[in-house]
Amino acid sequence: MDSPPKLALFEQCIVPHLDAAYNLARWLTRNEHDAEDVVQEAYLRAYRFFDSFNGGDGKAWLLAVVRNTCLTWRRREQGIAKVPFDESTHSPGEAVATAETKLVEQAQWGNVRDCLESLPLEFREVLVMRELEEMPYRDIAAVTSLPIGTVMSRLSRARRRLQDCVTGRMKGVTQ
Amino acid sequence: MTCESAKSLTGAYADDELDAGVDAQVREHLATCGSCAEAHAQLLALRAGIRERAPYYRAPAYLQDRVRAAVRQAGRQAAEPWRWIAIAAAILLAVSAAWNAVELRSPNFLRDQFAQSVLSSHVRSLLGTHLLDVPSSDQHTVKPWFNGKLDFSPDVRDLAPQGFPLIGGRIDYVGDRTVAALVYQRRQHVINLFTWPSPAPDRPTELTRNGYHIVHWSSGGMAWWAVSDLNAGELRRFVNLYKQ
Repeated sequence: MDSPPKLALFEQCIVPHLDAAYNLARWLTRNEHDAEDVVQEAYLRAYRFFDSFNGGDGKAWLLAVVRNTCLTWRRREQGIAKVPFDESTHSPGEAVATAETKLVEQAQWGNVRDCLESLPLEFREVLVMRELEEMPYRDIAAVTSLPIGTVMSRLSRARRRLQDCVTGRMKGVTQ
Repeated sequence: MTCESAKSLTGAYADDELDAGVDAQVREHLATCGSCAEAHAQLLALRAGIRERAPYYRAPAYLQDRVRAAVRQAGRQAAEPWRWIAIAAAILLAVSAAWNAVELRSPNFLRDQFAQSVLSSHVRSLLGTHLLDVPSSDQHTVKPWFNGKLDFSPDVRDLAPQGFPLIGGRIDYVGDRTVAALVYQRRQHVINLFTWPSPAPDRPTELTRNGYHIVHWSSGGMAWWAVSDLNAGELRRFVNLYKQ
């Protein structure tokens, strides 16, 4: 009955943020196929709960849904996986660093991607939203349901860890 | 501003998230403090490194199609309850309309059904050899003959004096029940008079079908149907005589 206007509004406010949704999902799942599934599921969720969208920033609202969908997906994956997902096992360790010694000639920031990907989700998500989506703290706080002060301190820690990773890797590479 | 507080704010400063006043203080501090300036520079370098090297993953084109299709599908499904209600309402309306139509039409409808049925029986009786089970012009022979063959006893009249001699009777089927068929004759014309119990009397009817005349009436809890190729006037006269 009110579906066509709802659909039209949804397509106008939410669908344009598909890239942002995918980018966040891709960084959080670290896998393009999972990211696609998560995005599709997130969009369906978003559509279902679109009535709770009170205007404002569609992007932040959508990303909150994407993030929640990612967390659900992650819990499900961990439930299915025989070996519990451990961030540390997915962190780039010595082996990765050694493999990458071939890429010494690569520019010094070549490992940023790996480092960012290896960060725990709570740090990864704020960095992706801040640096890649260039979102203000207020929106990041809205997406993560965190106070702005916490967003700020978490970003600070995330940057430090990323910096450590990048420089640590560089040391490894240049040794 | 102390180095410590400045360092804690370099992130927010780089992110342009500070109030104008604090922002100015940090900027001032950075201009004079080498170590804080270096921390800030490192932060900007990190940012540049991320933006340059960490990919911004754009959604593949097909994902957009996929998502749009999924959402539209969901939109249709969301509309579904209403659609089902609409369908249910439409069905209800149609059923009630049909019901009303049947209700309104039912006497005619049933009458037509019976008319068709008695006409078929009449024609069948003339085509084959089964016009009479009990050939008799005697009403006192014909009437008892039905005993035990029907669950009712038809009123059999002798109208020979009026020019409609009884020639016999038989058991027949009309609708889904056995009925009594009384056979009269007028010159070369055969009249089949069908009768069966019908507790609900309905309007007398005269019909013409395929050149046959059909007259229907109810009396004494019985339905009567007279069918013949006799002209309508004479058949009506036969019926009137019978009703008396």
